[in-house]
Amino acid sequence: MLEAKNLMVFFENALAINDLSIEVKREEIVGVLGPNSAGKTTLMNTISGLIIDIKIKEERRGGERITVMGELWFEGEEMLHSKPSYRIRKGIALSRERHPIFPDSSVEENLRISTYLRKDPEVQKSFEFVYGIFPPLRELRKRKAGFCSGGEQQMLSVGMALMTRPKLLLLDEPLLGLSPMMQRFLIEAIRRIRKEGIAVLVAEQFARPLLPSLDRGYVIENGMLSFQGTGQELRDNPEVRASFVGV
Amino acid sequence: MEIIIYGITNSISLALMAIGFSLTFGISGLPNFAHGAFYLLGGILTWIFLNQLGIPYLVAALLSILAIGAFGFFLYWGLMLRLRGLAINEVIATLAVAIVIIEVLRWMGFSGFSYVLPPFIRGSVNIGGVWVDNQRIVMVGIGAALIVVLYLFTRRTKTGLSFRAIAQNERTAIAVGIDPDWTAALSLAMGSGLAVVAGLAILPLGAIDTEMGYDILLYALAVGIIGGLESLPGALLGSFILGFSQILVATFLRAQWQTVVTLAAIVIILAIKPSGLLGKYKELEERV
Repeated sequence: MLEAKNLMVFFENALAINDLSIEVKREEIVGVLGPNSAGKTTLMNTISGLIIDIKIKEERRGGERITVMGELWFEGEEMLHSKPSYRIRKGIALSRERHPIFPDSSVEENLRISTYLRKDPEVQKSFEFVYGIFPPLRELRKRKAGFCSGGEQQMLSVGMALMTRPKLLLLDEPLLGLSPMMQRFLIEAIRRIRKEGIAVLVAEQFARPLLPSLDRGYVIENGMLSFQGTGQELRDNPEVRASFVGV
Repeated sequence: MEIIIYGITNSISLALMAIGFSLTFGISGLPNFAHGAFYLLGGILTWIFLNQLGIPYLVAALLSILAIGAFGFFLYWGLMLRLRGLAINEVIATLAVAIVIIEVLRWMGFSGFSYVLPPFIRGSVNIGGVWVDNQRIVMVGIGAALIVVLYLFTRRTKTGLSFRAIAQNERTAIAVGIDPDWTAALSLAMGSGLAVVAGLAILPLGAIDTEMGYDILLYALAVGIIGGLESLPGALLGSFILGFSQILVATFLRAQWQTVVTLAAIVIILAIKPSGLLGKYKELEERV
């Protein structure tokens, strides 16, 4: 359903993403693994369209020149230069790195804000869906999101992305800074989200707890693809094991 | 008793002056220095509608609010869009718009006692031994209604929620589909419209004077700086502090000292708490 071909992203003359091609098929969980500054977040921003906004802001204040090249196909439509809001309507939703939620709003209000683009009457169903996947959020729904713990905010951030009713969910470092228990819970949630028919693309640095759940994965370094394969191939590759699994 | 009543009416009038400025700045970070000019222009527009075109008062008022709101909306797309993110340029551009509006109005002679908006309800009432004219009571009513309406608007409607979202975390708001430019243009339109609402509530208390264009901006800034520029509760707190201290000074010292109080308050707050008394969610961030 998602196919990125020969993506190139420049910040001035520096290459953040170099000739990267990735693919996500229906109901797959695909991982993008790589160390810090490998280009994971830039890739996520390029797919979600956030980069378009960053680019416009930089142009307006005469800052860094950002260039995006290549092809991005989502369900048969070229989307590399469309606005983020258009991509959300079409079914691509991003949960950003370090769970930046709206701290001054309640948990419920955060979720409600995320339905901004929706005009259908089934918003209530989506609330039930999100509360079903993340039961703790139901208990917390009246609390100010800024007072929630890191794990709760991460659940909320994923929940907000789900409220847009995506077909493809992009998760940028969802496990960062969580306790091992919360990590397991979140991975379990990702599996359940996939079961509901939503494809998931996860960017992650610390891959050990995630690896068993991946259908396929890409390892990127300095914006370039260094290894790709099925989940099993990734688990068996000694280099991947040494760099990202920590054995 | 006089101090309490006049303190409250003065505070509410300050809050009305500041609320539009705070709203725009709080949502999109746009410092609308043409706020005072819009206040003035809205009043004069209503006067023209009323006295030269013979339009009924209420319709004239609504028309001016909509006209200035639309002006703010197009000001964003025509001018501010090119300057977004450059704070100093935004200030210079909006101040330039303000000076053009105010000085043209001054040149056209819209000043003095012939330019008076009639009060909504004539006469006055006695509250606890103090005579208060009805317009002041109407003004307090408008102020209170506006606060309630704004509160409900930002919590119950989709557009209001998108305003809150953009104000809290712009990039996350974009990631859930909210358009930042559209929101900023709407916020500037609403802020401009609110400037006219304030003008219509306050101007009938005296004659229209072009100098007000600058004074209102100063008061809006003072209230904002005291309470925290981007927060509406802050604007409310700021206007009550400033409103009461102005009345106290006018009662026990002299009326001329009122402006000094305004400026001194800015200096003191900037020295001890630069983000204002209720500035952005600093405490919240530190706790988490």
